[in-house]
Amino acid sequence: MTKRFGRGRGAVVGAAAVLALLAGCGAVPSSAPEIGGGSAVPPRPTGVEELTAPPSAPAVAAPSCDATASLRPSGPLPAAGRMPGGSTMARIAERGRLTVGVDQNTYLMGFRNPFSGELEGFDVDMAREVARAIFGDPTRIQFKVLTSEERIPALENREVDVVVRTMTVNCERWQKVAFSSVYYQAGQRVLVPSTSDVTGIESLGGRKVCATKGSSSLANVAGAPAGPIAVSVPNWTDCLVLLQQGQVDAISTDNTILAGFAAQDPYTKVVGPQFTAEPYGMAFPRPDEDFVRFVNALLERLRSDGTWASIHGRWLGAPPAPPVAAYRD
Amino acid sequence: MLAETQRNRGAVGRVTGLARSTPGRLSLLALLLIAASLLVGALTAVSVQRRSDALEALADRSEPLAYAAQEVYRSMADADATAASAFLSGGVESPGLRGRYEADVAKAAAALSTATGEITRSPELAGPLSTLSGQLPVYTGLVETARTHNRQGNPVGAAYLREASHLMRSALLPAAQELYRAETGNVLRDLSGAGTWPWSEFLLGAALIAALVLAQRYLTRKTNRVFNVGLVAATAACAVSLLWVVVASSIVVARASTSEDDAKVTDIVARARIATLTARGDETLTLVARGSGKVYEDRFAQASQELDRLLGEAAGSDAPPVVAAATTHLGQWQQAHARVRQADDSGDFTGAVELALGGGEAAVAFDALEKELVEALDRSRGELTDTIAGARGALSGAVPAVVLLALIAAVASTAGLWQRLKEYR
Repeated sequence: MTKRFGRGRGAVVGAAAVLALLAGCGAVPSSAPEIGGGSAVPPRPTGVEELTAPPSAPAVAAPSCDATASLRPSGPLPAAGRMPGGSTMARIAERGRLTVGVDQNTYLMGFRNPFSGELEGFDVDMAREVARAIFGDPTRIQFKVLTSEERIPALENREVDVVVRTMTVNCERWQKVAFSSVYYQAGQRVLVPSTSDVTGIESLGGRKVCATKGSSSLANVAGAPAGPIAVSVPNWTDCLVLLQQGQVDAISTDNTILAGFAAQDPYTKVVGPQFTAEPYGMAFPRPDEDFVRFVNALLERLRSDGTWASIHGRWLGAPPAPPVAAYRD
Repeated sequence: MLAETQRNRGAVGRVTGLARSTPGRLSLLALLLIAASLLVGALTAVSVQRRSDALEALADRSEPLAYAAQEVYRSMADADATAASAFLSGGVESPGLRGRYEADVAKAAAALSTATGEITRSPELAGPLSTLSGQLPVYTGLVETARTHNRQGNPVGAAYLREASHLMRSALLPAAQELYRAETGNVLRDLSGAGTWPWSEFLLGAALIAALVLAQRYLTRKTNRVFNVGLVAATAACAVSLLWVVVASSIVVARASTSEDDAKVTDIVARARIATLTARGDETLTLVARGSGKVYEDRFAQASQELDRLLGEAAGSDAPPVVAAATTHLGQWQQAHARVRQADDSGDFTGAVELALGGGEAAVAFDALEKELVEALDRSRGELTDTIAGARGALSGAVPAVVLLALIAAVASTAGLWQRLKEYR
């Protein structure tokens, strides 16, 4: 009797164990999804690219030339409103406005004043002088905002009469467009956060450096011997956004543009020497040689009558001596 | 062991014996009828309940969630367009535009918190939902940074605004669109679930009535009495139940098909409204880009074509008068936009901005179009919710009625057969 009872108890315990095991195996986990968002995704400006190779160089290297030498003025500047018949200027005068490719993102050179919504800056004032010379009225002007990359195509397609947009004169570009004499002498430097230990382009090896797509600055960064990682963006201010958000270590471009950044962000500093010379010229469609000569005559006047110095003083501080014009005839 | 087999054989014998005698057959018949009435009642009640549950899910979850998703999408697109307008107007933005932007962000966040409730039911929406709730604060942060820089006169403010707009268009709006598509799909799915014809209910009810009629004929043959009151009462109860279910379900089916049309119109109008906002954002951004805004102008053309198509579709489906008015306003806007472009392209930037903003032609036409679309949307959504409410009303009380009538049928048929059985004692 006791033995049978014991066996029964064993069976009960065994059955309970089996049931417990079954119940244990039958766990049904929650199907609710995990909470995501563990890693923050930093926002990025449109069209940011990290360059793995230097920007495409022309298939045939540009023949060496004296890039800063422009076309000699053909005579004294004609009076405003009286352009020689059949000239490019006469065509523009007939249209009633000068179309100019400028920038709205480069503080102090060509930028949109957030209060008035107007375009202002050194380049914009230079463009207005061209309009004044043709029409006698600096407001007879239509601005077309261009990115660095869009400058040459806009001239080739004749969407604009002239580009005044921190554009470096070089032999490669002379193949496609014509330049005026140099109206500003800039040079490439490096902008970093004020706490950075970077001392110049040479200490940026393996670090991210921002410049705009299609600019000579980008080519200079990508080709720098220290081997920085070039990051390209459409507009110059996109570089400042990336720097402020800690997505790049430095910005490298012309000192004029960097000065504009430093003016907008006191926690940045410009470091290192100028490691390139960047002479700025106004760019024209290749065939418009008469217009180039006209503008060169104008630039001669602006340099000599103090207009250049006063425009420089308004935007870029105490003026140095204006760059000396060189001609190739 | 042996005794048990004998006992089993005895039970089988008793049942077969019962089936051989008339009273036995009557008892079996009574048992079968009870079981059949209760079974049919239970099955019918379950399927009516399922239909009612589908309608409840539709009214209390899918439809409000689809609306929430649409609000998320709409308010985000509007915030983007408004931020661009505020920037273009220059200076410190107008209180009106700022207010509109703030209302959009508040609305987007509130609608998002409603839509996020869906995350456990549709895990596939986890991606878009976490993008939306994760990136919305980032977006507003960028807009505020842009605003701060604008107030200090720094052109980098514009770059922050571009980055914000890029985030909106590349991450937030696609996620909102995905959410909206999924939720609208859920509404249509629930509607077609609630709108299936009640075949199973009809067949079950008809089979039960047929069984009762056969039982009646059997009884007539055995007892020479034309009617058995109990069975007649049971048949009547079943017929009432069947009629009730079929009528109520047919109303639901009819309403569901109306609702499906309403839901489609709502969807079209909602998409038209979002396309309107996107086009407005593109129109403004073209001016902000000042000459290099071809990409935005192309997008405007695309959105404008999409609008033409959607309004045409909406007019074709139901032709509410607001859609006709909206089409007129769209035409006016497109003409005004052409003038804006003409002014901008011919060098009159200030004139173009005046046309596009504030009391300008394009702004007025856009506001009018938006107002018509809001009205159309409110109306078609109102119709949708009314129709769903009507369908739910048709089913109210159906489940208890079916259960009660099944019990009545079971009791009545038992009582009827019991009367006959008593005569054999």
